Amino acid sequence: MGTASHNIATQSKTLPCEMTLENLTEFPEGRRVLTCIQCGTCAGTCPYGELMQYPPRRIIGMLRAGELEKVFTSDSLLECVACYACTAKCPRGIDLTGVLLPLIKEQVLLHLPVMPAELQKALENKLRYGNPMGESPRKRAAWVKTAGVPVRILSEDPRPAEVLWYVECYTSYHPRGQDNARATARLLHALGIDFAILGNEEKCAGECGRLSWERGLYNTLMEYNMLVFAKYQFKMIVTSCPHAYDAFRYRYPIVGFNYRISPVPPFFAQYLPQLKSILKRNLNYTVTYHDSCCLGRHNNLYEEPRALLRAIPGVKLVEMVHNRVNTICCGGGGGGMWLDTYYKTKGIERLSERRVKEAIATGADVLAVACPYEVSRFEDALKVLGHEKKMIVRDITELLAEAIEV
Amino acid sequence: MAESKDIDRNGVQIGVYVCHCGTNIAGTVDVKALTEYAATLPGVTMARNYKYVCSTPGQELIKRDIHELGLNRIVVAACSPCLHEKTFRNVVAEAGLNPYYFQMVNIREHDSWVHTDKRAATEKGKDLIRAAVRRVRLHKPLERKRVSINPAVLIVGGGIAGIHAALTMANAGKHVYLVERDATIGGHMAMFDKTFPTLDCAACILTPKMTAVKSHHNITLWTLSEVTQVDGYVGNYQVTIKHKPRYVIEDACVGCMECIDACVYKQAKVPDEFNMYLGKRKPIYIPFPQAVPQVVVIDRESCIEFKSGKCKKTCVEVCADRKAIDFKQQETTETIEVGTIILATGFFTFDAKRVPYYGYGIYPNVYTGLEVERLINAAGPTNGEVILRDGRKPQRVAIVHCVGSRDENTNRYCSRVCCMYSLKLAHLIKEKTEAEVFNFYIDMRTPGKGFEEFYNRVADEGTHFVRGRVADIYPNPGDGGRLLVCAEDTLMSTVRKIPVDMVVLSTGLEPQADAQDVRRRFHITCSTEGFFLERHPKLAPVNTFTDGVFLAGCCQGPKDIPDTVAQAGAAAAEALALIDIGYIEQEPNTAHVLEEVCSGCKTCIPLCPYQAISFAENKKKAEINEVLCKGCGTCVASCPSGSVQQNLFEDEQIFAEIEGLLAYA
Repeated sequence: MGTASHNIATQSKTLPCEMTLENLTEFPEGRRVLTCIQCGTCAGTCPYGELMQYPPRRIIGMLRAGELEKVFTSDSLLECVACYACTAKCPRGIDLTGVLLPLIKEQVLLHLPVMPAELQKALENKLRYGNPMGESPRKRAAWVKTAGVPVRILSEDPRPAEVLWYVECYTSYHPRGQDNARATARLLHALGIDFAILGNEEKCAGECGRLSWERGLYNTLMEYNMLVFAKYQFKMIVTSCPHAYDAFRYRYPIVGFNYRISPVPPFFAQYLPQLKSILKRNLNYTVTYHDSCCLGRHNNLYEEPRALLRAIPGVKLVEMVHNRVNTICCGGGGGGMWLDTYYKTKGIERLSERRVKEAIATGADVLAVACPYEVSRFEDALKVLGHEKKMIVRDITELLAEAIEV
Repeated sequence: MAESKDIDRNGVQIGVYVCHCGTNIAGTVDVKALTEYAATLPGVTMARNYKYVCSTPGQELIKRDIHELGLNRIVVAACSPCLHEKTFRNVVAEAGLNPYYFQMVNIREHDSWVHTDKRAATEKGKDLIRAAVRRVRLHKPLERKRVSINPAVLIVGGGIAGIHAALTMANAGKHVYLVERDATIGGHMAMFDKTFPTLDCAACILTPKMTAVKSHHNITLWTLSEVTQVDGYVGNYQVTIKHKPRYVIEDACVGCMECIDACVYKQAKVPDEFNMYLGKRKPIYIPFPQAVPQVVVIDRESCIEFKSGKCKKTCVEVCADRKAIDFKQQETTETIEVGTIILATGFFTFDAKRVPYYGYGIYPNVYTGLEVERLINAAGPTNGEVILRDGRKPQRVAIVHCVGSRDENTNRYCSRVCCMYSLKLAHLIKEKTEAEVFNFYIDMRTPGKGFEEFYNRVADEGTHFVRGRVADIYPNPGDGGRLLVCAEDTLMSTVRKIPVDMVVLSTGLEPQADAQDVRRRFHITCSTEGFFLERHPKLAPVNTFTDGVFLAGCCQGPKDIPDTVAQAGAAAAEALALIDIGYIEQEPNTAHVLEEVCSGCKTCIPLCPYQAISFAENKKKAEINEVLCKGCGTCVASCPSGSVQQNLFEDEQIFAEIEGLLAYA
């Protein structure tokens, strides 16, 4: 714990040399683009591959031919939702989502005559308020009053904690996200875990800032959060947001982040035997689980969420046609969360709608999710398609909490 | 030529030859400076440089110098000893010296090829030559030993590779033991319908060779058998073979198959391995009509007699006086002696479930190429009709190339045969069903005799070709079980989703699941992907690093039938070459124990990779079998009392070499 603060002091001012399009091939992971065999798996698996003028395969072709300018002046990469589908299936192991596409997106953004307003607002809000909705930072921990169990806030009670729970924006502010937050708090409490949150000191981890092209914003948030972590003592971080998990696991280490980190589902999966003894209530649901891109495809956490769902009495788990590595993104990643209006004006189908059609086809009553973007996106999609009576959307934590309340 | 005035007190007169190797060495190393330097070294009578020392004039030069100048030690600074050590030892021997009065210095692979700084490379060359000069003066005359070779050969695996090698050896008059682990020989080739690119019927060309194996007086064929242990060395291997029970006495069974009809199972109920589980067989069965040997086999997992002991045994009744069925048969082992071994253990087909987004094992209409081979085959589960599991004839078929090949997530290598067998299947499916066939490929690889012409023929027949790797396969909603095959057509830059009734996954070739066990048993090595490693990828493609063990067919890497047969013939020729000379000359660089120093601690015994060391109980000392010793030096280095010495690597020779290397001039 102590070493982290030391690292911040020495590293936060001078970030290590970052990969750019110019120095791409000097990094082993960047150099991989040279091995592309132009097989088109990326375009074929991309949820918007049919629409993209420049899918990843063509971008690599243009890059190798020295004609990237044409890609920068096309807005087709705005359709990339950073879902890792291309990366997961690439037969050459090229990290498109993590390495190449964010660099291209940054240039696409710079060349856009007009930035999509919704996205611009969200990024500005992140910088000014620490959350994309533009909510007051002073209300970030307001949900705690309705949690029903004590939730310790470190700035008020800075004693060391076992677990620092990093709640994140949608879970803190969105009404349905707060349901998830309350459920998580109850589960942590029921399991007797010594946990605390940062409260109003917490700010967005910034992952979608990076994957949606704003590197500067990302670095600012990264520096801020590292300084806050250094103020307190805890054994590990557990986060409700798979995007924050990605940020902490893959990006923050370059500024010295070396805390143990886990997303919520695998964290609770460790407590399965204890959970089973308190999961008493029979829910009698047929549930289909949507693999979030970050949790599943990017981190191979496919089985832990399912194990939690199977532990609930009366839950029958059914699978959608596209599951696990083949999951379809909810459309919220890579900035897609704030491009719905833009897609609508262009007449593009929302991925959340494509996904709930598959969920409805399973005949399930509940669409279970594990990423805070998804609850609102899927509930909205169900309404738009007129399926809101057939199916409800629940975070896994909500279902677990429901099953412990007798 | 540079001459030295130094005369060695022991009469040692060393000649040093520095090779230019064209510009390979001379381009980076100052060969003239090396020569002049070498001439100044103690014991060196003469030093020369020459454009190609390995050439005939180069060799003659050495011989002449030996005669005219009375040289009695030779150092050649040239390429790797792997290439020309033998050449120069022969030169030295032909000039009348002991061939081991020679030392090779590698100034190419170890110097000129790996450095760019000419000055530094030249200095390094001097150090290497100095080390060799110091060592060679301590060399002792050594003699190669000869051991006789057993003319019998063991061939492991009864696919087309093993069959072809067996027949070649047997026709040359050698006795062959052919060991096959399944109940019949024939391997994968027996499962195919037609073979590319000529569309010969696989059975028509294979089964005559299978029966020839069975009837050949020089071949002992053992099916349901496996090699469990290999001892000995080239020319004299002792091999232990395990015979698994067939529960049918091979010599008594006449292959009438009345027992199969008589089995209490009126219907075939057991999924049939030979038909890729697409058909059913009975507990007593013959794998396929032309199986060799033509003998039934009982599967104890499904046979009622084995399960309950209460079967009516109608099979035994109908077999009557022949008394071929024996439920009490036990596993047996026997040991044979052979001089050479050919491994032809074949391949394993990639498990398509490992690419989950292709839906194999989830959607019933997704098949593997080998399954479709069985559907097309007239002796297969559908009598040659290409029909789906629900009995429908497909109208549209997708063939997906590169499944489990060319993919960082599964296998990185190209499986070589899939493009061609995909084209063959496209042709056969079209012929049988008149379906519209789509081949999804990344690159079409047809580099063989008549292969490109076959590609042209299949295209001309109207097969569609989509250049793009399939990214997703899933049911088309509301299209009666049709599957959507989704890929970018990279030549059109558009994503296509093509509805089909049937998907054929062209799965790649992998090493056998137990390749690592087999590798250890035969003391050979595997390449990174797990296929058996040949001694040299170009110049020794059927040899292994173990003398007398050869490779044939797909156990060495994916290959088609023509290449497999060619390699099997080559393996047989290599084995025959060993056998026909009648003896094996062994390198004398073996280790020996200085008995007076050995404390009998046995440290060396388990370390020897060749089981060459034993413990002499009477003397309480370690003993090294010279014939088994390969001269690896492990025992020498491990001996706590320094009692193991190795010819050509004696302590004083190694120390002299090290001192030479480290003594800056």
